[in-house]
Amino acid sequence: MTYIKSWDEFAKAVERVYVNNPLKCRFVMKYRNVDGLLTMKITDDHVCLQYKTEHNQDVKKLEKLLGHLIRDMASKEK
Amino acid sequence: MLLENDSFLSELTRMFQRTKNTGSVSITMKRWDGHNKPKPRTGNAPEPTEYKCLFRASARNKKISTVVSQKDVTKFQMAYATLLKGNLIGLKRGEKKDAKATKKAKAT
Repeated sequence: MTYIKSWDEFAKAVERVYVNNPLKCRFVMKYRNVDGLLTMKITDDHVCLQYKTEHNQDVKKLEKLLGHLIRDMASKEK
Repeated sequence: MLLENDSFLSELTRMFQRTKNTGSVSITMKRWDGHNKPKPRTGNAPEPTEYKCLFRASARNKKISTVVSQKDVTKFQMAYATLLKGNLIGLKRGEKKDAKATKKAKAT
């Protein structure tokens, strides 16, 4: 349940966990407007990695990551 | 509640609006191979022909979900990105502006 401090590290970890077990892994994000807090989590029920941010500039990076992830998930490849 | 892609997005927008002052929204995405039933203990499960992307969202006590197939990915992704940009508005603005502002303040 550790929070990763750097975005780049988290992004790499997301790819790694996904590739390791594509069908088991899920990506969860939770947004609280009241606290201005965005929390993200990737897990395959063995590994669980989280990242949280309060900054707007992370949304752009998140978009890029999500774009990759959606494409990978909805493809014919295994 | 399983929704079409478009109605999922508009419902999600409503969720963000409803949680403006209280609570939170969580969104899960994962790969889905099209099977709802558990793997049979004997014999092999049918081979998945196509993978899709399953989205779930929940806020307060409402839950919605949608399935995005490969041909809709680009369209959905763009709409989703716009939605996020428009709704994750409680976050702190970038530091760049602050840096500029402090520079200006120093200069004057």
